[in-house]
Amino acid sequence: MTFSLLHATDFADRLLYKIIPPLKAGMIVLADRYAYTAFARDATRGVDRQWVRELYSFAVRPDLTLYFRVPIDVSLDRLLARRVKLKFYEAGMDLGWSANPADSFRLFQGKVLGEYDRLVDEYGLEVVNAVGSITEQQRVVRSLVARHIETSQSELTDDEPV
Amino acid sequence: MTSPSDLDEERPGPGTPESDGAAANDRSQPGRYYGQGIPYLPIEGYPGKLIAVEGTDGVGRSTQIQLLREWLEIKGYGVVETGWTRSPLMQPTIELAKSSNTLNKLTFVLLYATDFADRLEKEIIPALKAGFIVLSDRYIFTALARAGVRGVDRQWLRNLYGFAIAPHMVFYLKIDVDKLIGRVLQSRGMDFWESGMDLKTGDDIYESFRTYQQRLLREYASMTDEFHFRVLDARRRVDKIQEELRKQVEAFLEAADKPAEPALTR
Repeated sequence: MTFSLLHATDFADRLLYKIIPPLKAGMIVLADRYAYTAFARDATRGVDRQWVRELYSFAVRPDLTLYFRVPIDVSLDRLLARRVKLKFYEAGMDLGWSANPADSFRLFQGKVLGEYDRLVDEYGLEVVNAVGSITEQQRVVRSLVARHIETSQSELTDDEPV
Repeated sequence: MTSPSDLDEERPGPGTPESDGAAANDRSQPGRYYGQGIPYLPIEGYPGKLIAVEGTDGVGRSTQIQLLREWLEIKGYGVVETGWTRSPLMQPTIELAKSSNTLNKLTFVLLYATDFADRLEKEIIPALKAGFIVLSDRYIFTALARAGVRGVDRQWLRNLYGFAIAPHMVFYLKIDVDKLIGRVLQSRGMDFWESGMDLKTGDDIYESFRTYQQRLLREYASMTDEFHFRVLDARRRVDKIQEELRKQVEAFLEAADKPAEPALTR
C-alpha cells in the first residue's frame, strides 16, 4: 500500500510539472511507463484493482499507449545480459515468494504480465510484439504513431510567419 | 484516467449515487476498513482498539492524549501513540517538500496518504493485532479537511482513504476561531501552512489564518455525522475536557471487555 502511494505521489508531481504543461503547449509527450505500470504492479502486490484505478483518476488518459509484450524468459535473458543482478523490487523479492531472484522474478513478472493482459482490453492498449528486432518494432511503432498524429499534421504545415 | 463525468458510467456498482448511502453506513463499523481496505492484511477480530483525537492546530490534542495515555497505562492498558506525518519513511520527505514552494495540492494529499499507509501497516495494524489501545493524534479526517478546503474532489478522497480503519472512537476537539487565534499566538505563533498561505487568499498572515482555519472548522463540522465524531468543547479547561474524555473511554472499554473478550493487558 505504501509502495503504491509513494509511486502515485511521484507520478502526481511529474504529471503536474512535466506532462501537463507541454501538453498545454501542444507538444508530444513520450512517457516511459505510465499509470498502467502501477495498475499491473500494485495489483500483483495485492492492492485492490478498483482502488488503484480510482487513485489514478487524476491522470490524463494517453492518446496512444504502446504495450511492448515479451515472454518472461526473454525479458529475464535481456536483463541478465546487461546486468549481473536483478533488482530487489523488479524481482518481487519483497513478496517473499522465492529466495532465488530468478525464480521470484518469473513468479512475480508472470503475474504482472497477467495484469497487463487485462489492461489491453480495458484501456485499449496497442500491443507491440517485443520479441522481434529493434528495427521491426520501430516500424510498427512508427506506423501506429503516424496514424495518431496525421490528423493534426495539416495544422502544423501552415505554420508560417504572418 | 477518466474525466469525472464518465467515472460514474464506468464504475460497476460501488460509487454510484445509490450505493453511496450504503458506503456511508459501512463507515459506522469500528475496527473495520472504510472501503476495500488492504486485501493482503485482514484485520477482523483484532483485539486492539483505535481511538482518534481530531481537531485543528493548537486545540490541545497532544495535551489531552498525553493525559489520557498516562491514565490508561495506570489502569493497565498497553498504549501506542501515532501521529500525523510521524512515519520514519515519509517525515523527512514531507518536511523537505513543505520547505520548498513546489508542493501541489494533489502531491500534498498523496504524500500524507503515503505517510499514513506506512504508519497503518507498520504501527497501527500490528498494535491492534497485539491488543494495544492505539491513540492517534489526528487521523484521516485532518487530511480530508485540509484537502477539502483546497478543493480536492471529496469522493476521490474518500476512495483514496478506503484503506483506512474506522476508529472505535473519534473525539473531535471543537473550538471557535477567536479562541484558537489566542492560543496559537500564545504558544508558537502562526506558521505558513497552518495559516493556509499556500491558498493565497491574501498577504496578511493573520487574515489568512483566520479565513483558512474557519474553512477547516467548517470541513470538520461537515464530517461530524458522516464519521460519528464525539464532539468535545475544547474551549473549556484542560482537566474538564480530560474528565469527559476519560468518562467516555472508560464506558467504551468496559463494554468492550465484558463479552467473552479477555482483558487486554491486565
